[in-house]
Amino acid sequence: MRIELSPSVWWYALSRSELWRSIIRHGVTDSSRNRSLAIFQNFFLHMHPVKVRRKALEVRHTYYLGGISLALTAILAASGILLMFYYHPSVPEAYMDMKELQFTVDIGTFLRNMHRWSAHAMVLVVFLHMLRVFYHGAFRPPRQFNWVLGVVLLTLTLLLSYTGYLLPWDQLAYWAVTVGTNMVRATPVLGERIRFLLLGGNIVGANALIRFYVLHCVALPLLLVLIAALHIWRVRKDGGVKGPLAEDEETLEVYR
Amino acid sequence: MTNRLRVVFATSSVVFLVVLAAAPLKNALREYHGYQREYRRLAAERAPSARLARAVASRPDRIEQIWNPGFGNRVDRCVTCHQGVSEPTLAGAPAPFGFHSETAHTPVDLDQFGCVFCHGGQGLATTAAEAHGLTRHWPTPLLPSVYLEASCGRCHRGAQASEAPRLSKGRQLMERYACYSCHLARGYEAYTAEAPSLSATPLKLRASWVRAWLKDPKALNANARMPRFRIEPGETDALINYLFSRPPAVELASRIEAAATEPPGDAAKGEVLFRESRCISCHTVEGKGNDSAPELSLVGSKASRAWLLAFVRDPSAFNPRTPMPAFDFTPEEARDIAAYLSEELRDFSEPAQQESPFQPNQRLAEEGRKVFLKYGCFGCHPMEGMSGQEKIGPELSALADKKVSSLDFGRRSDLPKTLAAWVGAKVTEPSSFAPGLKMPTFSLQTEEVTSVVTALLSLSGEGVPDEYQPISASPNRVTAVPAGDVGRLFDRYRCLSCHIVGASGGDISTAPLTFEGSKVTRDWLESYLLTPYTIRGILPERMPFFRMNAGDAKRIADYIADVFLDDSIPSDAFGGRPPAQEEVAAGERTYTRLGCNSCHILGQAGGYYGPPLSDAGDRLKSGWIAYWLENPQRWREDVRCPNYGLSREQIVELTAFVSTRHKIAADPAAGSQ
Repeated sequence: MRIELSPSVWWYALSRSELWRSIIRHGVTDSSRNRSLAIFQNFFLHMHPVKVRRKALEVRHTYYLGGISLALTAILAASGILLMFYYHPSVPEAYMDMKELQFTVDIGTFLRNMHRWSAHAMVLVVFLHMLRVFYHGAFRPPRQFNWVLGVVLLTLTLLLSYTGYLLPWDQLAYWAVTVGTNMVRATPVLGERIRFLLLGGNIVGANALIRFYVLHCVALPLLLVLIAALHIWRVRKDGGVKGPLAEDEETLEVYR
Repeated sequence: MTNRLRVVFATSSVVFLVVLAAAPLKNALREYHGYQREYRRLAAERAPSARLARAVASRPDRIEQIWNPGFGNRVDRCVTCHQGVSEPTLAGAPAPFGFHSETAHTPVDLDQFGCVFCHGGQGLATTAAEAHGLTRHWPTPLLPSVYLEASCGRCHRGAQASEAPRLSKGRQLMERYACYSCHLARGYEAYTAEAPSLSATPLKLRASWVRAWLKDPKALNANARMPRFRIEPGETDALINYLFSRPPAVELASRIEAAATEPPGDAAKGEVLFRESRCISCHTVEGKGNDSAPELSLVGSKASRAWLLAFVRDPSAFNPRTPMPAFDFTPEEARDIAAYLSEELRDFSEPAQQESPFQPNQRLAEEGRKVFLKYGCFGCHPMEGMSGQEKIGPELSALADKKVSSLDFGRRSDLPKTLAAWVGAKVTEPSSFAPGLKMPTFSLQTEEVTSVVTALLSLSGEGVPDEYQPISASPNRVTAVPAGDVGRLFDRYRCLSCHIVGASGGDISTAPLTFEGSKVTRDWLESYLLTPYTIRGILPERMPFFRMNAGDAKRIADYIADVFLDDSIPSDAFGGRPPAQEEVAAGERTYTRLGCNSCHILGQAGGYYGPPLSDAGDRLKSGWIAYWLENPQRWREDVRCPNYGLSREQIVELTAFVSTRHKIAADPAAGSQ
């Protein structure tokens, strides 16, 4: 029997191969089950609800602020990893590495500026995101837990921003962290201890630099990614984006 | 999705794309590429061969740097644009491609020192504005080239730094104007100014003179070292009361009072003595003289005759540290000199009447003491009970390391925000920063200010590694100043005020005594000490006529002949044999050929720049003459006698000729008969 090798034949053979089926585990027939499986079995699609209301895609529902935060996180991660190739978290080298980025590394200035401005934008966007959620009343049940997660994410964003501030090891960084950790000291009872823990000593020195580096590049980003994943998953579980208050919905009277 | 949204999406995508494309583009167009292209063109043009021209023309663009891990881990990328610094063919090329001018360390040591250690700026940078450090917050911008020698002084910490005349001059001026009396500086902790003691003020000075002097010392004496203080009139009164209320030391008072009772001397005889004794070898009279001791033109209006007489007799009784030697004047001679000083060297426009003695007021005197302390007068003028006072000015030790952001510019908003400008203004117009500042005005010339600023900017606290420490220029020099009886004679005649011995001594005389015994004969030295005569007429500074007694002269001559020797200089150039006549004749031809007579007098003719050689055979040892001829600059670096690079044979011949010139023989043909 002679088989004609048309594209459809190739597709048939490929989509039933062992390799294909180990990656794409559902069938190709356009059935409701297969469509659900396609969503459930793909992490990225799974983060999103199966169905999205057309209205929820309108700009005024989210202003895309959550999405922009996510995009900025991605940019920060990518540029941050590249910067780590050029940076030594040690006192004699840290500032020199900034100079190397500025003067000798190809596109080094762009890389560093991208990281810096994205970080600034992230803080701003995350704040706006919180305001949007607040004014849409999206913190109310069933979304109350996601609000809590959001507040944790805001805190993580601020901590990332703050720990990253020390890394250039210039005067601005040094004194900003000196002032910041002195503010920590004002915490009742535990102030001195927290400050000691944060700095790895009593002054902003080599220990503080390495601590801030590990926090900035490992601990805080890991936490951020984990909680952000949970946050986005909760959006879906809580019935999608809330959007502006409907005509008949009661308005927020927070101070009542 | 609405149509509008698509437009927004499309536009922002294009914007991001442009941004992403701009970054690598900007990277590829960095300014050093342009400089390197231009350099390759220039260097290929000037290359000595076509092969080298091709080699340089085909060099790729790249960041170049001088990296010194052993020298503060310095990285200087200046050579990325300044590519011709060590390429002699680019001498005279336009900036930034030129060949580095030749100095003690460049271009040979460029790889050891890099650029920034001397020039300042930001070595890591690869753009002109950033590299030159003219951007905000870079603490060490390019050092203006007039102050460049300041960088020499960061390693070369001695008072004299060879090849850095401006720095040396600045350091000299800082000592002269006693900066270290008010400001502490590393290496000058033991510094004490040479200002006169004020202990005998009531017996020496008149109140009206002190008042005028305090107002502006330069108005009374253009060469005054004392700066102009901004003392308020009330404070001046108090200060004068304080100075005149202090009783002079008993011993000095009795000397001065005894001198006051002596009969007046003869001013005309005094003038002759003044000239004979060569006072202007150190002092200045109406601008003539060496200016290393006080100007004397108006000394008669300043000091009382009795004080002058007592002082001339024994200067060290008034100030143990005075550089002035004791002259062995007879009592009459001393009286004549004092008469000359007080009658002829005074301000004739002043009324001659005697000023009545000043009656100090005790309450004002108390206030005056506070004024004395307030302006830090004790820094220069020693005063009883004030020796432990802290210096009133801020420490200068790490001045060059100060950050511009830490400087107080006060009212001087007109100044560029650089350390050099700030220091310059502090030196020129210290009062212009804020009212009430105590630093006095020194009224320096522009060039002097530049020198002082250079010296100040060399005061860096930043150390250099041991292997970068300059090697001391003359490690084998003896530093011993004689002790014992001869030492007392050296002290009495203050030989070291003018002559260098080893590492100490003044530089008024051009004849260092360190190896004098190897240079001159003992007999000549003894006769010269007894009756000095002019050896180099071109110099205003001559050996003073001390009227030394024969015993002292013999002792000093013996000591110098036995001790001040350099074993590497033989005493006789001919190994004990007399010089042969042929040698003398050949030496004479060399003497004529080299044109030695354009500087030296021999017989009846010759120049007067160098010392006369008519009596060279009496004065100099032949071994020393040969040693000198080998390399005149070996004796002293600043010797002008050219080094002709003579062969050993020519040296011996020339020595034979010169060492057979005798005054006593007085026969120019004596050697060549």
